[in-house]
Order: sequence, then C-alpha cells, then structure tokens
Amino acid sequence: MEISDSLSFLLTLPLFAMVLSLVVPRAVQRGYAIFASLLFLALTVYESSGILFATSAATAARFAVEHQLQWLPQIGAKLSLRLDSVSAWFVVMNALTAVIAFSSKGVWYRKSPKLFTALGFFLLFGLNTAFLSQDLIVFYLGYESVFIPMIFMVGIWGENQKASAVFRFFLMSFLGSILMLVSVFFLLSRQVKDGGAVSSHLGSLIPVAGGLPELHAKLAFFGFFLAFAIKVPLVPFHSWLKDVYVLAPFPATIWMSAILSKLGVYGMIRFVMPLFPQTMGTYQGVLMAIAACSVVYAALLAYRSNQPKALLAYSSISHLGFVMLGVFTMKNQGALSAIFLSVGHTMVSALLFFLLSKIDERSEGLDLGVPRGLSQQFPVLFTALFVVMLASVSLPGTLNFAGEFLVLLNSWPVSTLSTVVAGFGAVLGAAYMLKFYQQMGFGASSTDPGKQGAHAEDLSGFELVLVFLLIMAVVVFGFQTSIFLKGN
Amino acid sequence: MSAEFDLLGPWISLCAGILLTLLISVIRTESKRPAQISALITVVGTAVLSLGKQPSEAALVFAGSFEISSLTLLVLGGLCALAAMFILGTGHYLSRERIHISDYYHLLLILVLGASVMVASRNLILTFIALEVMSLPAYTLAGFRRNDSRSNEAALKYFILGGAMGAVFLLGSSFVFGATGTLTYSGVFSASKSGGVMLELGHLLLLVSFLFKVAAAPLHFWKPDVYEGAPTPVTGIMATIITAASFLTLVRLIHMIDYGAAEMGNYLAWLKSALRFVTVASLIVGSTVMITQRSLKRLFAYSSITHTGYLMLGVLGSFDSGASASSVLIYLCGYCVMSTGAFVLLALSKSPADTGTELIDLTGLMKRSPYLTGLWTIFLFSMAGMPFTVGFFAKYFVFMASMNGGETVVVVIAALCTVVGAYAYLRAIALMTMREAAPTSGEWELTPGSQLVAVGAAVFVLFLGIIPNAMLQYLKGIPLIH
Repeated sequence: MEISDSLSFLLTLPLFAMVLSLVVPRAVQRGYAIFASLLFLALTVYESSGILFATSAATAARFAVEHQLQWLPQIGAKLSLRLDSVSAWFVVMNALTAVIAFSSKGVWYRKSPKLFTALGFFLLFGLNTAFLSQDLIVFYLGYESVFIPMIFMVGIWGENQKASAVFRFFLMSFLGSILMLVSVFFLLSRQVKDGGAVSSHLGSLIPVAGGLPELHAKLAFFGFFLAFAIKVPLVPFHSWLKDVYVLAPFPATIWMSAILSKLGVYGMIRFVMPLFPQTMGTYQGVLMAIAACSVVYAALLAYRSNQPKALLAYSSISHLGFVMLGVFTMKNQGALSAIFLSVGHTMVSALLFFLLSKIDERSEGLDLGVPRGLSQQFPVLFTALFVVMLASVSLPGTLNFAGEFLVLLNSWPVSTLSTVVAGFGAVLGAAYMLKFYQQMGFGASSTDPGKQGAHAEDLSGFELVLVFLLIMAVVVFGFQTSIFLKGN
Repeated sequence: MSAEFDLLGPWISLCAGILLTLLISVIRTESKRPAQISALITVVGTAVLSLGKQPSEAALVFAGSFEISSLTLLVLGGLCALAAMFILGTGHYLSRERIHISDYYHLLLILVLGASVMVASRNLILTFIALEVMSLPAYTLAGFRRNDSRSNEAALKYFILGGAMGAVFLLGSSFVFGATGTLTYSGVFSASKSGGVMLELGHLLLLVSFLFKVAAAPLHFWKPDVYEGAPTPVTGIMATIITAASFLTLVRLIHMIDYGAAEMGNYLAWLKSALRFVTVASLIVGSTVMITQRSLKRLFAYSSITHTGYLMLGVLGSFDSGASASSVLIYLCGYCVMSTGAFVLLALSKSPADTGTELIDLTGLMKRSPYLTGLWTIFLFSMAGMPFTVGFFAKYFVFMASMNGGETVVVVIAALCTVVGAYAYLRAIALMTMREAAPTSGEWELTPGSQLVAVGAAVFVLFLGIIPNAMLQYLKGIPLIH
C-alpha cells in the first residue's frame, strides 16, 4: 500500500467549490455546479481507477492509498483517509450523484441558487469525509455534518408542510448517530482503562471491541446498528423516510436515496463488521430476517402508493433491503455483492428521480391514476424511463440483476428462508414498477398541454447525454461483474 | 508585599478602572459615552494584562486565601473579554430601552471583579464576600428596567433567593469551620481526612448554594423568570460571566474535600449519586421544557439549565481523574462564547421589551437578513453540538470525561437529551429559514458594534470547531483542581 497525500483533494476541492459558488453569478449557477461536479467526478474516477478497474484483489490492494494527517493529538483523532476497494466505489458514487442532482432543474436554481450550490458541495465534502475516514471520530463528523445541508435543502426548497418532515428526519437520524457516538466513546473509554494510547482509528479500536464482555459488546453494537439501520433505512426504522422524500426538492431526494442511504451500508461494512463480528454472528438470523422483511414490506408499501415520489422512495427501501441482506451474510463475497448492488442502486434510483423531475417539469401534478398520455408527447424521456425501470426491476443484463442475483446466491446458504422471502419481494418490484410506468406514461392523451405548453421539449442536449451514458454504464457493468468481485 | 502587589496587578488595574468609571459617571452624568469607553478600556486592559501573564506555578497571597495561577488569571482575562463583548455589542439595546446610564458600567465591572475573585479565592469567607460582590450588582442590573414590572419581579426574586442562598453558604461555612477549625480550602482539605458528619453537612450546604447559582435542577426554578425579566444584555451576562464563575467555584468547592481518605468513602459515594441525580435532572428538565417555550429568553434559560447538566457530566468525571476536570474548562470556554454571540444577537431584536422577544419573531428572517440568519444558525448549531462548531468538541470532552468516570448510563441519558434539545434549536432555525415572514414577526436591527462582536464570536465558534488544537493544548495545561 502506498502512503500518499493525494487524497486530501477529495476533501478540499468540494470545500473550494463551495466557497467559489458564493462568488459565481446567480444566472450561471447550474452550469457552474454541473461543470465543477463533472470535473470532480473525473478526478475521483482518475484517482481511484487503479482500484476500480483492477481485475484481482491483489492489484486493487496495490493501488489502495492511505493518507494520514495529524489533526487532534489531544483526543487521538487523525485525519486518516483510505481509498481502497470498498471506499473507492462509494466516493465515485458520491461524485456521480452530485452531477445528477445538480443537473435537475427547478425552484432551487431560482430562489437563492448560491446557497443551494454551496450546500450541495458541502454535502459532497461531508460524504467524502465519511466515506474516506478510517477514524471513527472523523467519520462521525462527516456522517453528522451531512444533516446540515439536507435539512436546509428540504426546509428551504421543499414543498408545503415540510417542517415536520424535516424534524422527524433530523430527530430520528440524530438519535441513531448520537447513540453511535456514545458507543464510540464507550470503546475509547475502554482504551483509556486498558492504559493504552487513545486513538479513534478503526485499527486500534478493533482489539478493544474484541475484548469487551458479551453484554457490553451487544450494547455497543446496538448503538452502531441503530444509527446505520435508521440511515439505510431498514423497515422498522423507516418512518421518517416517506414524508421527507416526497416533500424534498428533487436534488435532495436524489442525494438521499442514491448516496445518503449508502452511508448506512458503508458504515455497516466498514465499521460494524470488523468491530463486532461475534455479536453480529449471534444476531445474524434476526438481521437477515429484518433485511428480508424490509424488501417485502417496502415493496408492498410501494405498490399501495399513489404518489410517484413515495412509490420510488419505498422501492428504494426495498432494494436497499437486498443490499443489507448481502451485508448481513457476513461473508466477503456477500459484502462485495452488496457493494455491487449499491452501485447499481445509486445509478438507478438517481436516474429514476432525475427522470421523474423531468416529468414534473413537463406535467401538471404528479399523482398516479390520472391518465396523461405523456409518453406520446415525450417519447425519448419515456424510453429512457422504460430502460431505467427495467434495470430497477433487475432485468437480466443490467447491473442490478447481477447484484441481486449474487446477493441471493450468497444469502441462500446462510438463511434460506430470508432468501426466499426477499426473492418474493423482487417479484413485487416488477408489479409496482410496471404500475408506475403505466400510470405515468400511458392512458388517454390528456387535453391538458402541461406546464410548458404543447411544444414542451423532450429530453435533449446535455441531459440526454447524461442519461444515455448512465444507462450504458448500468448495462455495461452488468456484464463486467469481475471488477466488483475481486475481493477486498 | 510588593511582590504580592505585582502579582495582583490585573486585579488592581480592574479596581482602578472601576473607580475611574465610577468617578466619570458621577462627573459626566449627561453623557454615558465616557463611562462606556472607560469601562471598555478597563476590561480590555485587564484582559491583556492577565492573559499576558503565565505563571508556571500557583502563588498564594493574603495568608493563603487568594490564588494567583494560570487558572485564575485565565478566568479574569476571559471574564473581562466577555464583559468587553457585552459592552461593545449591546450599548444600542440600552439606548433603545432608555436605560443607558453610566451606572450600568461600573456595576458591570464590579460584577466581573467579584466573579474573578470568587474563582481565585481559597478561603470560604473571601468566597462569600466575592459571591456577594458579584451578586449585588447582578440584582441591581436585573432590575434596571425599573418601570417594567417583570424586571422588578426578576430583581426581587433574584435578590431574595440569592440572599437566602448566601445565608446557606454562610451556614455551611460555619459548620465546616466548626468541624475543622479552619476556613482555607487547603486547611479543610487536610482536616477532612478525619471526616465527620458536621463537615459533610457543611460541605453539602456550600454545594447547595452554588448549585442554586448555576441553576442545576431541582434548584433551577428562579432562572426562567429572572432571565425573562432582566434586560437582555444582563441576561447574557448572567448566562455567561456569572454561570462560568459560579461553576468553576462549584468545582473547586467540590474538590476541597480529600476523597482519598477512607473516612470519606461513604460520603463520596453518596455525593456522587446526589450529583448524578442533579445532572440527569438538569438535562431532562432543561431539554424537555426548552421545547415548549415561546419566549426566546426563556428558551435560553432552559438551554442554560441543560448546559449546566452537560457541565456536571464533566464534574462527575473529575472524581476519578483530575485531568477530566479540564473538560469543564473547555466546555465553559465554548459555551460562554456561543452564548455571548446568541445574546448579542437577541439584543438586536426591536420587539417591545415588555412582551419580550418570542420565537415567532425569528420567522422568515432569512428573507430579511440572510446575514443575521447565518450568525444565528452558527450559534444555535453550536449549542446543539453539531460538527464543525466548538459545541461539538465541548460536548465531546464532557461526555468522554463522564464515560471515563464510569458513568455510562448518565452519558446515554445525556445523549438522548441532546437529541431533544437539538429539536428546540432546530425549531428556531426552521422558523428563520423555512417559513415566510408574517406581518407580526419582529424587527431586527444591526449595529456596527454588535456586528463586530457577533461575527468575532461566530468565527471563534467555527474556528475552534475545526482546529481546536491550540485551545485544547492551552486549557488542558491549566490545573482546575489541586
């Protein structure tokens, strides 16, 4: 492994872009944000390309980079950033999500656009801090700071009655994360008691967690688990999600479903698995059952929704249930396929919400069950939506199919029942997505010409290229499974 | 003797400044500007003098009853700096309320003197005198809006209860004297090895009077009313200067007993559980009642009760290791700056004082003044303990101190209270940023002085939230208890 300081730009550039966005004129904010995030995506991919496209675990490990910077010796917190075959995917997904979110158009580019762009880049910074840090205190800082832009995005550009949704989102997430922090404190205080030097680096906390008495380990595990289960969310902890997804402006929804949820996945893989392998093993059956129930229950909720945003929100939970099923297998291959599916989920759910925002621009209201016949008016947009929808229901040949298949393959030997139940959820997925597509696109052609008149434009230009490239990525990676399954 | 006077320099300069300001206010009654400038020069000068000195070890003067050390000089300098922020940042409030009279300034200076001597005192009688020197101006200042019945109520309530608690302190001192035959902290410390009910009772009474001063639940009931009735700058001074000095004195009083002695083992266990109860009660009462408040001052009153609870977490941790006591200092440092910023902003509200500034007055502030909203957001987030503000590290250290002291359950309760408290702060932020302004929402005016202070405090909060190294290094090197 190489020690390098080339990683810090992944944190400093977003901050720089944030400051710059306060100077860039209002009129070109969207162009600036897209350009800067594309540039950042390119740099991120370049930096991690060695890891991403390596074909074997050994090659990937050779390209892994760790960067240590002394930050707070008083509390043993270091800025130790690590780019390896786990974090590289999440960092790239983060940059990609920013591009898609910034590309959506709406009120956020008319009302205080500078603030919006600045918050977006701050979000990029906070998420990268969380995804790269090996130090639990720094991870927590990144994890927690993500709330700040999210609250403001939903609160300022969201729809009516957003305040209560914001509060519920904030309180539930904060409850989880503060209990995680208490768990970290608990581990740190054990370290003090054992007389060692205090360090919140993951590597030095693993032996501490390993030496905990069983009850203590269970409680500390619970703190972490609750934080990440709320963040993902898994089913009993999902009640904050629907309102905030529905009322949030589209970019915030894209960010939440595509990447904020991955914080939970990442945290579970990166921190909980190495810290509490035994406790997790004890509860594995329960955890698998929770994940499988998430898949089915959220799918049922999605089927019952008559609001497309709510439907996609529940569909997102349902797919994340699969991801967590892969994580809870506690096997290397299971975790890898979970990351694999995460990448697919990021692209597909970001695309779905992005395309929905395009429909929203062109249509009066979004409720399902109102025939609009929009597919005749906007054939390109709806063709794209059709392809993405197929990816979402895991049609063979897409990234999501390969991911879900691998997850089920890995979870079968661990818990057959959970696998069967989750597999049933996949069938429901096809049912609600087809309902969604049919009601959005088909039906009698509406006499209502839509928001922008009869001559509203179809998807074109930059947006078309972006959507096309992403769809290509979903398909191409669907066949290139080897780059995901190289081991970590 | 001359060496002692040299050591006492900063305190003497403060006294000289008080006399000068008093003189000016007697001579120049028609204008308050000279008194304001004189007071400002006094506190800034004293702060520079005291923070410039860094004695490597503590010196005791006046027969061992007055301590001059890096801690007491830091406290004097810090309190003077806070006073300077209030003098600079809230003059316009006094003018608007027509209470801008010269007497305000020398009373404020006397309060600072009392507060700093109280922390430096190593003798119970001196502590009592300093307590009264600090409290008497505070009672007067609380009633400064003399035509307003609420202000009168605040002053009277504060005076009667404060006076009663002063009496409790004296009673405790006499018990301690009866048990040990001495009034100096070090004398009590060495005499406490033999224990005794009289000593324990006396010590407990001393603590009760200071738990009242810092408004730890269940002795908090006076705080919301006094906060609401007092003029806003005075409320701010109570929340920062008086709270900080009282809390530091409380810590020193707690540690005037030698808990290592075998005879004190039972007492220690008992005291710890009492303090545990006070901590949890302050946290729960403060954070839950805070979310029901409509008046901003009452909200900050309950918020400061919660902060007392967090500070008590640091105290709970300090029994096992003296190093944990520095968490109290770190918390106070962050808390004082963010509270000063918040109260300077609160004093900008043009709502009529007799109704007070309500939460609703913040509605839609972002449309009217994004600048002011930004400052409010920084201070409120810091109080909630969000990352990248000093509030986060302040909480980090008290939580860690308590956790290291083995108080896991209390820490979990404190964490849950943080979530509840965060709701109250977030509600204020939501009103500013997420609602449209109503015609009834109040006006806010920015003045250059307040702007300077608030921006300075905000920069401090953010800077220490990202790179607190220098502050931690400095504060950790200061011994709070001996």
